[in-house]
Amino acid sequence: MSEEKISRRGMIKKPVYINRRLVRYYWDRLKKNKLSLAGLGFIVFLALLGIFGPFLAADPQHVDFDIKNLPPLGFSTQESIYDIKTNTFATTVNPGRPDHPLGTDSKGRDMLSMLISGSRISLLVGLLATGIALFLGTFLGVLSAYLGGWADNLLMRFTDVMMTFPFFLLLVLIVFIFGPSLTIIVIVIGLTGWTGAARLIRSEALSLRTRDFITASKALGASDNRIIFNHLIPNVASLIIVMATLSIPGVIMAEAALSFIGMGDPMSTSWGTILNTGQHSLDTAWWVAVEPGIMLFLTVLSFNFFGDGLRDAFDPKASV
Amino acid sequence: MKIQQILEIKELKKYYRVTSGLIPRPVGDIKAVDGVSLTIAEKEVLGLVGESGCGKTTLGKTILRLEEPTSGEILFNGMDVVKLNKGDMRKLRGKLQIVFQDPDSSLDPRMTVGGSIEEALVIQGIKSAGERTERVGALMEKVGLEAGFYERYPHEFSGGQKQRIGIARALAMDPELVIADEPVSALDVSVQAQILNLMMDIKDRDGLAYLFVSHDLSIVKYISDRVAVMYLGRIVEMAEKHEFFKDPLHPYTEALLSAIASLRPADKEKILLKGDVPSPLNPPSGCHFHTRCHRMIAICPEVDPAYREVAPGHFVACHLY
Repeated sequence: MSEEKISRRGMIKKPVYINRRLVRYYWDRLKKNKLSLAGLGFIVFLALLGIFGPFLAADPQHVDFDIKNLPPLGFSTQESIYDIKTNTFATTVNPGRPDHPLGTDSKGRDMLSMLISGSRISLLVGLLATGIALFLGTFLGVLSAYLGGWADNLLMRFTDVMMTFPFFLLLVLIVFIFGPSLTIIVIVIGLTGWTGAARLIRSEALSLRTRDFITASKALGASDNRIIFNHLIPNVASLIIVMATLSIPGVIMAEAALSFIGMGDPMSTSWGTILNTGQHSLDTAWWVAVEPGIMLFLTVLSFNFFGDGLRDAFDPKASV
Repeated sequence: MKIQQILEIKELKKYYRVTSGLIPRPVGDIKAVDGVSLTIAEKEVLGLVGESGCGKTTLGKTILRLEEPTSGEILFNGMDVVKLNKGDMRKLRGKLQIVFQDPDSSLDPRMTVGGSIEEALVIQGIKSAGERTERVGALMEKVGLEAGFYERYPHEFSGGQKQRIGIARALAMDPELVIADEPVSALDVSVQAQILNLMMDIKDRDGLAYLFVSHDLSIVKYISDRVAVMYLGRIVEMAEKHEFFKDPLHPYTEALLSAIASLRPADKEKILLKGDVPSPLNPPSGCHFHTRCHRMIAICPEVDPAYREVAPGHFVACHLY
């Protein structure tokens, strides 16, 4: 595709948040970081799993005590029963079954279905809560930097106060008061998680504010709105993307932790809920805890690798 | 014949309040621009020279009201810019433009260069997209760029090209006065000449005036009609160009002129200034320059010299004249 042939649209009604050649340039830089690509691959896999998986998999809430504690395919458990007549132990071996490839938990629920359901919940919570947090963070950060003076002071002190709250304790408290539901969890994480973003974006916007192209716009008579939306925000967009990628794992972990201590949404099966179940049967059915653990581990790692790669790709000074 | 003055500045002052302490209280003022008066005629280039930190850039920004002046008058075509309200100021801005020093920072890296130029037209209220596109194309050709560069991004251009784009943006609304804030000092020498020639061509064709801020006297000699020298927020000497270079009066001007690189350095006597520019927060008493002056007399630390016309069109603030 020849770059010269791109037609001249000839107008800038909308700010150019994304443009093809810059995206291409960043993609080329990102591609050089293999770990980051692997992370992206896993995230895409997880997203597909979360979107389409639940339609294909069995009901994760389906309980069947006849097949409880089935091991994953390729593993087997032994059950020894003492026979009082013969005074011997009768040992039966339970191998994993292909219709439950990742085994079942203590209530006979299919692990694969539960994990798929969990990936949907985790991604949903991660994306929504991060979205809320970054929206607030960007808004307050840019506003604070742009207004300056006492308004800046007020907003930043408010941010400091918010930062001093022990976030997880607050989360537990609010869930305790309002009852466990995914909506509440998403909103609370979103409403408390914006502080770091606000600070970072404020400092970035502060340095942008004194750049000549902002002065040039002012010299042309640009309104504050135009400067904020057409110049400041597009220039912090890459920072926002990186922060989003790096803050999603924290949110996923927070949701998992909440579910693990039994304060998650009881109507949904998240990885934390499965971990909670698995905790009680670690000695008999280790896979119930290990499998969601692996998923969490890989997810968090993937987002972190991907975020690191993005950050380097966006940083003109970093050599990739 | 009366020369039409396009810009007339009277006793312009820009002070920055310096505060300190937990509960901020003022401890003094930085007098970045301290009572500057000057005029620029139609189609005239006024070169403004001085060391870094002497208030050249602040003066330029204050004229554009990017910084609110502390006091004084800025008459643009007889209209006091300081008294204009926001709406009227916006209408005026197209006629009063600025070109920046650093081409890297003067263009938004996330906006196409065409978009950057077009923004000027959007802000100034040209509604028709077709007309805007046409004018952007014409502007880009005017500064020597292909109109096909419209959708490119600043990082795809060299410093000189970026500076051309910056000039095109400033020219978008047919300005009458352009404040050029060291427009070539970030470029290398061959590109400097190209940009200077471009600016001169545009001036001749469109009949606009420049306030050309620079610290490079050879460039000022090339481009200006008149030259003003600034020291610590004040203008110490102003004269028509030939007079200025032939017969400099102020000791500071002498020192600056003697610092111009020459092909025969042995022919010239160098006047070396000692030390740095004093802090504008606490300027020296009397004549601000007396601490570094090689021709100081007894009165200098005591009395601030008046800024007077000592020959027709030649102004100087020095006790020696």
